[in-house]
Amino acid sequence: MNPEKDQQHDPEAIEKSRQQRLEIDLAARWPVGIFIGSSIFWLLLGSALAIAASIKLHDPAFLAENPWLTFGRVRPAHLNIVAYGWLSTAGIGIGLWILSRLCRAPIRDNRSLTLAAALWNMGNAVGTWGILRGDSTAVEWLEYPTYAAPFLLVSFAFVMLESVGLIRRRPPGHIYISQWYIMAAFFWFPSLYFTAHGLLVLAPVQAPAQPPINWWFAHNALGLWFTPIGLGAAYYLIPKIIGRPIHSYYLSVIGFWSLAFFYAWNGMHHLIGGPFPAWLITASVVASIMMFIPVITVAINHHFTMVGHFKKTIYSPTLRFVVFGAMCYTLASFQGSTMAIRSLNGITHFTHYTIAHAHLGAYGFATMVFFGSIYYIMPRLLEREWPSRFLIRIHFWSCAIGFIAYFIFLSWGGILQGIEMNQKETPFLEIVALTMPYLKLRTVAGSLMTLGHLAFAVSFCWMIISHRASTGEPTLFSKRIPNPDPIS
Amino acid sequence: MFVAVTVILIVMLLGSVGALFAFSWAATHQQFENLEAAAESIFDADEPIGKPTDNFITDSHES
Amino acid sequence: MSKFRYIFIGFMLTFLSSWVGLVLMPVWGLGNFEQTPDPATGEMIPPKLSSLEKEGRDVYIANGCVYCHSQQVHPARVRTDIARGWGVRRTVARDYMNQEVAQMGTMRTGPDLSNIGVRNPSETWHYLHLYNPQITSKGSNMPPFTFLFETKKKDPENPAKDALNLPEGFGPGADYEVTPSHEMRALVAYLQSLKLSAYEIPEAPAARIESLAE
Repeated sequence: MNPEKDQQHDPEAIEKSRQQRLEIDLAARWPVGIFIGSSIFWLLLGSALAIAASIKLHDPAFLAENPWLTFGRVRPAHLNIVAYGWLSTAGIGIGLWILSRLCRAPIRDNRSLTLAAALWNMGNAVGTWGILRGDSTAVEWLEYPTYAAPFLLVSFAFVMLESVGLIRRRPPGHIYISQWYIMAAFFWFPSLYFTAHGLLVLAPVQAPAQPPINWWFAHNALGLWFTPIGLGAAYYLIPKIIGRPIHSYYLSVIGFWSLAFFYAWNGMHHLIGGPFPAWLITASVVASIMMFIPVITVAINHHFTMVGHFKKTIYSPTLRFVVFGAMCYTLASFQGSTMAIRSLNGITHFTHYTIAHAHLGAYGFATMVFFGSIYYIMPRLLEREWPSRFLIRIHFWSCAIGFIAYFIFLSWGGILQGIEMNQKETPFLEIVALTMPYLKLRTVAGSLMTLGHLAFAVSFCWMIISHRASTGEPTLFSKRIPNPDPIS
Repeated sequence: MFVAVTVILIVMLLGSVGALFAFSWAATHQQFENLEAAAESIFDADEPIGKPTDNFITDSHES
Repeated sequence: MSKFRYIFIGFMLTFLSSWVGLVLMPVWGLGNFEQTPDPATGEMIPPKLSSLEKEGRDVYIANGCVYCHSQQVHPARVRTDIARGWGVRRTVARDYMNQEVAQMGTMRTGPDLSNIGVRNPSETWHYLHLYNPQITSKGSNMPPFTFLFETKKKDPENPAKDALNLPEGFGPGADYEVTPSHEMRALVAYLQSLKLSAYEIPEAPAARIESLAE
């Protein structure tokens, strides 16, 4: 028997839980808001660098005179900014808010979290400057020089302290799956960063041992940092928005543990065919295939929760973005498992196909889920509505169509590239020539995506500046709600 | 450098010791029961099951 | 707090298992190579980088060459690397032991460079290619690295000995001369040192090279 069901008709209990939720959202306003606002700045900067890098690949003389803007610096700057400036920053804000909500405990330490946000932004700024200056560490996904790391690690320590505080203040009873995912992510990320930075940059191990550690780090940054926050957000927002509990909580527990175990072993699939012991590569190939287990459980769970409610994506921006993102998670993971199979890897390794896949996960899944989460969170923090439905529509459709085009064109070009690279008679410059149209189409698609980001940023700033308060309750956008479906 | 690796290894092993025991403890002491209640824990009196919690001003049902 | 403690121990232990497999084991197994004598010449191989070559490696890293170029030759049964002349045999872990910073790479927007020092030892070619790749490789999408060269007005009585011989349409014109900067020299020295699978090593003795190349 669920005690909460009995309280539905008790006006005192309703008012009490409403007050508690308002208190939580109010306490989160500044700390969560500042992380989310910062992340949008980095999203724009990351998008600008992305377009520059994309143009350079089909027009190599573009902005090539200045060493700070050479492709080999712009590309890692783009990657690190979107990873640690956009996704990580938004992930911290979203993670803290979900934890606060689920722990039924308001965020307490505004001061240290404000400092944490400032330090996190400083770390990203210093790191980006370092890469463009020529101080890259040479470790993929970890290019910020050492002098940026203390900012990030101290900042994150404050975030972890507050998170542990929230967990400790939670009411007795269940720990919801999103709390597992977010807390795990908050512990895994510093462990990854600390180990990788230590063994690859500060006191580097001998060179032959570096790539395994590099790709253990890089792949786990995706699977044990961005993915759990994205899944945690989806597991909270989908049921919360449609008003139905998740289809099978049992499946979600299986999904969590199988993700934790198998994902972390995947990293070596980036090195298939390389100079490494066969057991190491094979372990990762096996783990990559085993990923079907957690991914199918998540897909089943989300699908069956949504069944009968897909129409709600018409009126809920959050649901639309999150469902798009969750579907991309399934696709990206299935695709990734297939890419680890040696025969297919023989075609796709070293090509643009891999880049398209990376964006399916980091953009199609993580970024879109984070967009949706921000659309849900911000009105509840500010007690204001998003100012323009039109801007939201531009945001969604530019990003969705732009990204689908990006993925299709770049994947197609990558496959052709891979096939030709395996033909020893095909001269290398001919392979470069055949990728050109796809690289140009990628620039067009990426520009469309950036348009969506601009619409989002305008929306966000407008909402902050505008003094228009919502006329309804903060948690609802409008009193004119389409009839809610009865509980099935 | 090997000292660093060994130290990290010992710390992580110590930090995780007993996890297998913890798991079997948790499994045999009913930590995985009542999963249905766990799934419903995100709802409360004010935002109960059956009440959608996200709406946007719509004059008409355009996308 | 009690229930969370077990979840915490659980997810840190699963994490630890991957750390042991993918971090610790590589360090133990791939982190302790020592040079061996080359059967052909008796010299210790692979050679260590000279200080100029190390500077060049740092230029390579600073400018992100790894994002388009790999440094790993794959076996003939898997890829066409050997058929393309990128190496006489696959590279093995030992080949990288003196690199200090592994730049194996994961993209081949440009060709593999493991043995560029064998395949393309000409300094002149590298200077022209790096000044503007279109000179040697028309249609390439590699960026020009003009900022690693120095341009000054030519003194007709005292022309620079190492000035680049730029073809028509490239460069600042006949009144100027373009010479490689110190960083560019270092970079080319590093590229010339890249002969990763040129040596016979215990894991791949010469007798097996013939069969790998099929």
